[in-house]
Amino acid sequence: MYGGDEVSAIVVDLGSHTCKAGYAGEDAPKAVFPSVVGAVDGVEAMDVDADSAKNNSNSEDSKTNESDKEKGKRKLYVGSQALNYRRDHMEILSPIKDGIVSDWDLVDNIWEHAFRGCLMIDPKEHPMLLAEPPLNTQQQREKAAELMFEKYKVPALFMAKNPVLTSFATGRATSLVVDCGGGSTTISPVHEGYVLQKAVVSAPIGGEFLTDCLLKSLESKGIKIRPRYSFKRKEVRPGEFQVEDVGVPDTTESYKLFCQRMIVGDIKDSICRVPDTPYDDKSYANIPTTSYELPDGQTLEIGADRFKIPDVMFNPSIVQTIPGMEKYGDMIPTVRGLPHMVMESINKCDVDIRRELYSSILLAGGTSSMQQLKERLEKDLIEVLCSPSLFCARLLTFLDFENGSSSALFRSFQESPHSARVKVLASGNTTERRFSVWIGGSILASLGSFQQMWFSKSEYEEHGASYIQRKCP
Amino acid sequence: MGGTDAKDILGLPKTPLSLTQEKKSRPQKESHRKPDGISREVYALTGGVAPLMPSIDVTHLKRPPPPDEKVAWQWLPVKSSARKDDLQLYHWVRVVNDVPPTGDYSFAKYNKSVDVLKYTDDEYENHLTDPVWTKEETDQLFELCERFDLRFTVIADRFPLSRTVEELKDRYYSVTRALLRARAQSPAELANHPLIKEPYDMTRDRERKRALSMVLSQSRHQEKKDAEILAEAKRITEMRLAARRAAEPDVPANENIGSVSPSSNSQLPATAVAPSTLTMADYASTLASLRMLHVYLRTYGLEQMVQAASSAVGLRTIKRVEQTLQDLGVNLKPKVPTKTVCDEHLELRKEILTLLNLQKQLQYKESEGSSHREGTYGAMPDTPKDRVFASEPFGFGAERPIKKEPKRKGPGRQSDTPSPAHKRPRKLKASDL
Repeated sequence: MYGGDEVSAIVVDLGSHTCKAGYAGEDAPKAVFPSVVGAVDGVEAMDVDADSAKNNSNSEDSKTNESDKEKGKRKLYVGSQALNYRRDHMEILSPIKDGIVSDWDLVDNIWEHAFRGCLMIDPKEHPMLLAEPPLNTQQQREKAAELMFEKYKVPALFMAKNPVLTSFATGRATSLVVDCGGGSTTISPVHEGYVLQKAVVSAPIGGEFLTDCLLKSLESKGIKIRPRYSFKRKEVRPGEFQVEDVGVPDTTESYKLFCQRMIVGDIKDSICRVPDTPYDDKSYANIPTTSYELPDGQTLEIGADRFKIPDVMFNPSIVQTIPGMEKYGDMIPTVRGLPHMVMESINKCDVDIRRELYSSILLAGGTSSMQQLKERLEKDLIEVLCSPSLFCARLLTFLDFENGSSSALFRSFQESPHSARVKVLASGNTTERRFSVWIGGSILASLGSFQQMWFSKSEYEEHGASYIQRKCP
Repeated sequence: MGGTDAKDILGLPKTPLSLTQEKKSRPQKESHRKPDGISREVYALTGGVAPLMPSIDVTHLKRPPPPDEKVAWQWLPVKSSARKDDLQLYHWVRVVNDVPPTGDYSFAKYNKSVDVLKYTDDEYENHLTDPVWTKEETDQLFELCERFDLRFTVIADRFPLSRTVEELKDRYYSVTRALLRARAQSPAELANHPLIKEPYDMTRDRERKRALSMVLSQSRHQEKKDAEILAEAKRITEMRLAARRAAEPDVPANENIGSVSPSSNSQLPATAVAPSTLTMADYASTLASLRMLHVYLRTYGLEQMVQAASSAVGLRTIKRVEQTLQDLGVNLKPKVPTKTVCDEHLELRKEILTLLNLQKQLQYKESEGSSHREGTYGAMPDTPKDRVFASEPFGFGAERPIKKEPKRKGPGRQSDTPSPAHKRPRKLKASDL
């Protein structure tokens, strides 16, 4: 590699849905697992003769706690293998809320699992590159740096913003990154390798939200999604199976929801498509249905929902028509559709760079691999940008013919200069779209000229964690 | 190995010829041992004969590494001059003879940064105070400038107080300019500094951005209208230009230069110059195309003009023009193509064209007249020929010259052409080309 120099750095991207970790310089992360933790509280958690000060923070709301040992033997299970096994009383907890880390203990466990469980490395020997959301606060970064240096004793650290890494993954220094992730959708402009923070626009509609919509929609139609652990299939006759419910009274609601979400997420990935035009019930009422077989043998026929659910991204008010999602009704009016968010973000930027941003809009994130998303976004953007009215169009052609020089003008009428400038780019490979942040980190950490930018342990000891603000812009 | 096996496989009979060939090739092959460096099978692939031109030098193949060099790859720490601390990262290094390579980290040379001037407090007090900007803000600005290498868009984004990009640029450039002026020993060395030569103008920048935002926010409909207006304006200017040209020879010009269909017959008298006005439009367009070139050879320009002039007429007429020129003793292409010579040459060509057109019209009129006369009177003693010739200079009636094959070449023609060409006062002056 011409510009490359391997120092065996590790790239970790902790997203709201999955955590990705692996060696820098590789094509794809080696460790990909859901970024949730299963917690089983030991029965001794309520031991009274231990210091009550430590047990002040109760086991249910684990938002502020120091370490799991003091929590009274709470066992945490991380990783898809551990999570797929059903345990009694296991609660599913997510460390990330609204894009910001809320529970550092869980994050610690996740990292531990990634390093020692999946990658099997000793963090002391490898510099770390962490990917962080673009609107991360100073406090969060300092805490992350502290955790890394104190606990894992890494030799060097760097924290890069997600949109910058996506931009580098496609070889551009300036672009507008539309990151449709699990927990939220964030639109951020990147200019010459730096995020323009004042122009970042974010919406809480993400892949998980869409999964919930689909789940509620199916439930309202009377379809019961059975999590995998809750049934057994017995072969009654060769080829025919009978499904029996297994009673598991001690399973928590959160675990059940987690398993249901896994199944419905798969339905969404395989069947859902973004409609070419905004969704309305009438035109999609007679659409032919697609069938999907659930793990318990049931066959689902999904028709209009295929198109309705993805259209929530473009038209959030549809959510109100889905029964069961009313609790989001108050949040929805403030959220605008995807094309409008893109326009908003670009208009907050300086005029000089707008044209360049329009011509390089990048799609990233797991949800962006939904079919037809790129085409629909491009079409909507062109419409929103230059809205011609049909009457004026006809008037223009009439004038042209009158003047007798119709041909040249008419031709130029067909191609609008504005629309030629809007370009939405997305790599064809869906793996690349899902992992584009990680791939960007892999590229960055293996560049020769990046080696001078690491935030080293000695610098941390000399200047403190707040120095990270200077070092990692 | 060789041809016999192939023949066996294909089932072809072994001809006696091949046998003798085999006998011959076998002793040849034996003496031709395979060269060192390639295995036997590979060598036989080429047919057992060395290629005509050795493609690879045999000594290059399978050459063992020179015994005095010992190359190994080791995982060694690397020290980079680009880093200020002593972080030791490890990477793979090609080690020769147990001697690790010396020298700086190869990527350290890419660590470039912008030269941002630093000022002391005194300098600030003396030169750099500003009503709108406090010292802290200016300090912050300069720190950000250094961190972000003068990327003003990013600096504006990270600046804690909300200031526009233009304001930041303005402040930075004015401070730097003031510092340069204050620190320079003599004003001469400053004069070439780009900041002094072209100072940053905030209002102009603002105007430019406003205009740009207007352009970008135009809807498609508006852009179409703009394009249409521009095309219209271009047409009007061209028309005006052509009209100005045609107005010069004291003939009211056609309005419809750009249109395809010719004007009606009820137009003014000198339609004999109608062909020349059409060619005026051609001239205009040729002029425009020549101007696009900016630099061109005069002979090339002359050719273009001649072509433009003769585009409205047929090949035969062009030949007649050239014939006339030769008879006059004028070269078809001027020997010394200065501006005046070329202009005069073009003039001459135009006049000859006019002359020929008039002659054609004359013929036509004559034939009409003669047919009339033959129909009504009989033969007239004097043909109107000479009379008509004498009264040639002024324009004819309103009919357009029809392109007819000239039936006869009048005898007086030859004698007439020299005099009008030389002695007639020039009416059509070539305007500035």
